Amino acid sequence: MHSKMKQTVAAFAVAAAFAAPAKAELTGDLTIFLDTSNPAPRATMEEMIGRFGELHPGLSIETTVIDREAYKTQIRNFLTANAPDVATWYAANRMRPYVEAGLFEDVSDLYAEPEIAEAIASTKGALTIDDKQWGVAYTYYQWGVYYRKDIFAELGLSEPTTWDEEKANCAKIVESGRACYTIGTKYLWTAGGWFDYLNMRTNGFDFHMDLAAGKVSWEDERVKQTFMNWKELIDMGGFIADHQTYSWQEALPFMVKGEAAAYLMGNFAVAPLREAGLTDDQLDFYQFVKINPDVALSEDAPTDTFHIPSNAKNKEAAREFLRYVVSAENQTIINNGDNLGQLPVNANSSVDDDKFLNQGFDMLSNNATGGVAQFWDRDAPAEMAKASMEGFQEFMVKPDELDKILAKLERARGRIYK
Amino acid sequence: MFPKPIETRSASAQFAYKAMLPIALLFWLAPLLAVALFSIKPEADFTNANYWGLPSRFEGAVNYGQVFFNSDMPRYLLNSVFITVPTVIGAVALSCMTGFALGIYKFKSNLWIFFMFVAGNFVPFQILMVPVRDLTLQLGLYNTKTGLVLFHIAFQTGFCTLFMRNFIRALPFELIEAARVEGISEIRIFWYVVLPLMKPALAALSVLIFTFIWNDYFWAVVLTQGAESQPVTAGITSFNAQYRAAYHLMSAGSIVAALPPVAMFFLMQKHFIAGLTLGAVK
Repeated sequence: MHSKMKQTVAAFAVAAAFAAPAKAELTGDLTIFLDTSNPAPRATMEEMIGRFGELHPGLSIETTVIDREAYKTQIRNFLTANAPDVATWYAANRMRPYVEAGLFEDVSDLYAEPEIAEAIASTKGALTIDDKQWGVAYTYYQWGVYYRKDIFAELGLSEPTTWDEEKANCAKIVESGRACYTIGTKYLWTAGGWFDYLNMRTNGFDFHMDLAAGKVSWEDERVKQTFMNWKELIDMGGFIADHQTYSWQEALPFMVKGEAAAYLMGNFAVAPLREAGLTDDQLDFYQFVKINPDVALSEDAPTDTFHIPSNAKNKEAAREFLRYVVSAENQTIINNGDNLGQLPVNANSSVDDDKFLNQGFDMLSNNATGGVAQFWDRDAPAEMAKASMEGFQEFMVKPDELDKILAKLERARGRIYK
Repeated sequence: MFPKPIETRSASAQFAYKAMLPIALLFWLAPLLAVALFSIKPEADFTNANYWGLPSRFEGAVNYGQVFFNSDMPRYLLNSVFITVPTVIGAVALSCMTGFALGIYKFKSNLWIFFMFVAGNFVPFQILMVPVRDLTLQLGLYNTKTGLVLFHIAFQTGFCTLFMRNFIRALPFELIEAARVEGISEIRIFWYVVLPLMKPALAALSVLIFTFIWNDYFWAVVLTQGAESQPVTAGITSFNAQYRAAYHLMSAGSIVAALPPVAMFFLMQKHFIAGLTLGAVK
């Protein structure tokens, strides 16, 4: 009896070994640094790491959560001195300094794996520098125009797709005594969103990125054209008055009360608008309209990412963790409404049953062929982002001073990029 | 005497004074009232621009429930206690001794040492931010309650010494001389003669330092981060979500954070006012 039992166990062991030959058991330590310090995302990430840990019991995982703002200064330090095996960060230009300093591991091999290659193509561009990939995305969200459907219906308007339709709609909205768009530019970045879209639609994604990288003059005619388009909306009274005194949250009531018809904002604006009493029948979403028909549509979709530092000790386990993070099943869980409530990066994941997330997922998967930008203050260097967003705000208040503002930004460009 | 007592003014002036006072008070307290009001409002009131009106529905129980049961707030409150109480004890104990030494003994550099304690109070503390942060980092005390306590004790001792030294100076010196004639050791003079006489000063100073330290925000942000070490003043911002500021919860949290020093003030009002004036007039 006893020996028979042993035999069976041995047989099982052999069978198991043959069934999963590639999956070597992971062992050792895996240290993970997270910047998701707010309670809700923190819980989501810790649960995710818990599930990963259950799959790999041989691995002892140590998670450190660092305050989101403090993380931004500490990352320089720990990537060189005391590197974890996995660290959170942001895509595109925000990871460029660390990629160029050789502090992030090249993970192009992950993107070459068949089950990953197709599935996470939508964020591949944002993680590519010099034709190599330097990390994986774990969540992102769309930007676009959130508008009051009931006001549009009352005025007989439909979702615009071209610049002329957008302006015609706006003229009718202004005529009805409302502003077309609410915005609060007190903290500047909201104006950066408008600039992103107007410039990407006028001059295209590549030009926009060149401008962020300091390769184009601010006094270039093409940049002026972007501002001229913006000026058309400002001059017709499209934006709410005194927007420079409101934060983005303080600008929400204008939309709730129907004093403004639309808000160019990230998807995080939906939750407070719903809480304030707007139903899904009153609130809807459309992609920012085409301006220059020759330009492919590109979108703002700030992307949060995981990277493996070059100095990591357990890169094998770190890679397995990254595989798990982007897997369809995990992406479905962490991005659902109970957790992050954002868009999954894996095309095979199911998106939460939410009309805005579904529209955003569809838009970013199928209708953002020009590229995905990270948002102006992530794409441009911090100093230039600040100077330029101050310029955007000033322009929105005093549109006639454009030449002066652009000259100032051009001087800043000469100083900042060296 | 200035200001003139109001009773000596004309009847119309007195009436105007009585009428204006509540209005001035209302303006003065307006921000505080707004915070109190927000702490019982639902979040949607902010998005509806209902900043000053009555709450659309009473959410006080929900908001305060969130603060106490669904956030790190109790932890932060406890941190505040663990930072404030040792600081009060440490600073007051040290300054009793320095005050005794500087107030009783006549030695050569007495006045200069005293001036150094006083001069420390005139250093704007903001300029110490970077060196102190580096110091705590190198000592391995960054992001610990101990680091914050040690710094507060060091920094508060200057003011406390000024306060205590002046108080001890005002005591009748004959008492100490009499004790010395009896052949009592200096330590016992300090413990059995001077310390009992200092009780009002001890109470006043403790109350004052308690409120100073409890309300400190600057050093809490500079020297600590995260729920394991930050006091409540810095912890209030943890109610902010990644994209949104939760004004209703921050308001409720602020009210909770402000309660201990306010309670302290009302319970110990006599000592508090004594504390503000004791050190000032010699």
